[in-house]
Amino acid sequence: MDETSQPPSPDVAVKAVGLRKSFGWLEALRGVSFELKKGEFLAVFGPNGAGKTTLLKILSTLTRPTAGSAWVAGYDATKGDAELRKEIGVISHASSIYGDLTAFENMVFYARMYGVRDPETRAVEVVDEVGLKARLHDRAATFSRGMLQRLTIARAVIHNPSVLFLDEPYTGLDQHAAKSLTEQLAFLHTEKRALILTTHDIDRGLDTCDKAAIQVAGKFVRMDSIDEIDRKNFENLYLKTVRENS
Amino acid sequence: MDQYFKTVYAIVWKDFVTELKTRELFSSMFIFATLVILIFIFSINLSVVDAREVGPGILWAAFIFSGTLGLNRSFMLEKENDCLQGLMLTPADRTAIFFGKMLSNFVFLTIMEIFILPLFMVFFNIDLLPHLGPLLLVVFLGTVGFCVLGTLLSSLSAHLKNREVMLPLLLYPLLVPVVIGSVRMTGQILAGKELGDMSQWIGLILCFDIIFTGAAIMTIDHILEE
Repeated sequence: MDETSQPPSPDVAVKAVGLRKSFGWLEALRGVSFELKKGEFLAVFGPNGAGKTTLLKILSTLTRPTAGSAWVAGYDATKGDAELRKEIGVISHASSIYGDLTAFENMVFYARMYGVRDPETRAVEVVDEVGLKARLHDRAATFSRGMLQRLTIARAVIHNPSVLFLDEPYTGLDQHAAKSLTEQLAFLHTEKRALILTTHDIDRGLDTCDKAAIQVAGKFVRMDSIDEIDRKNFENLYLKTVRENS
Repeated sequence: MDQYFKTVYAIVWKDFVTELKTRELFSSMFIFATLVILIFIFSINLSVVDAREVGPGILWAAFIFSGTLGLNRSFMLEKENDCLQGLMLTPADRTAIFFGKMLSNFVFLTIMEIFILPLFMVFFNIDLLPHLGPLLLVVFLGTVGFCVLGTLLSSLSAHLKNREVMLPLLLYPLLVPVVIGSVRMTGQILAGKELGDMSQWIGLILCFDIIFTGAAIMTIDHILEE
């Protein structure tokens, strides 16, 4: 059994080995490898077209890699296992919220889709957790971008996943909403839950993460622990790394 | 298995709640079907042409064209805010998602048909009541065939840019056996024939329903994946 086909140890939440993805002639991922333990928070920075979204789509079973292997919460992500999807939550700039339904109805629907016990109670609970209880019975189409993003968080955690993927969640948020999102992320970052965040917002990313990676042209060029990072010079380091590897 | 039916129920429930709030689907389908019948009524001289001869074709044209509106809307709902991605991220069986959408389409179309049949009766001056049982069976079989194939193809065309154009282009040629069978059977029922005389047509539509349900079960996983 080679390294790529071996499941990771139980304390590992996400493991990728040599992940590659091609769309025809375009190589979106060119061999991404990393490991993330339970309770860790990884922020992935990279320019547009670096393959960050493709990486998260593979890890969340939305697309399959051309080569390589990936394990999430102990399940093989390349097989698109339904059991794996019970363990993950995904937040992206697209909310996946039905505008004609209320916040409550949206949450009840997703709770049923995930097989959550007592969907109605859980729906109220999770909407309360993201601070939208006052708008529980309002149509989602009437929500501001920030409120919609909070409802998206509620949708993503309704089944209490052990791994959370966040794809550019700060897109389109004003300062207040972005600050509120950072607070929510800190709340979601528990000992048992691993998080992967892709973002262009270096300051906010570094505020919340334990590890930071720079992805350029489909590869992780570097990955450091937050303790090893010089925050003052990280932006310069990021720009230099992107320039040298583009 | 229990979770499978809960998933189907969840999708039907969601589509119903949405429809109850917006009333977009039913109203557009009903108005369109009524217009199709009215256009034909004004273009045909019913004192010359036998209504029982032309009526079934017009009735099914109204059902199919207005049903296509509903199918287009069905997966459009899932594309708004990328809700389809939200569905794909759940552990729900993809065939359960398909059957949920199919069942919603079937119920919406059936409700519309129930409202259209009395209008058809009035406009064409045909008494449907003595033939109601067999007629409802034919409408049921034809509608199931339309919804199975239509839901499968609307999930396929949901990923396409010009989906409103592509859906009828893909759907209508494949739907020919159901349409011919349904029109012929409706005509024969109105002519007073027994269902037993139409076993070949019933067999044809049943085979169609079974084949495309099987095709949907086998392919929906790949179709829903981007």
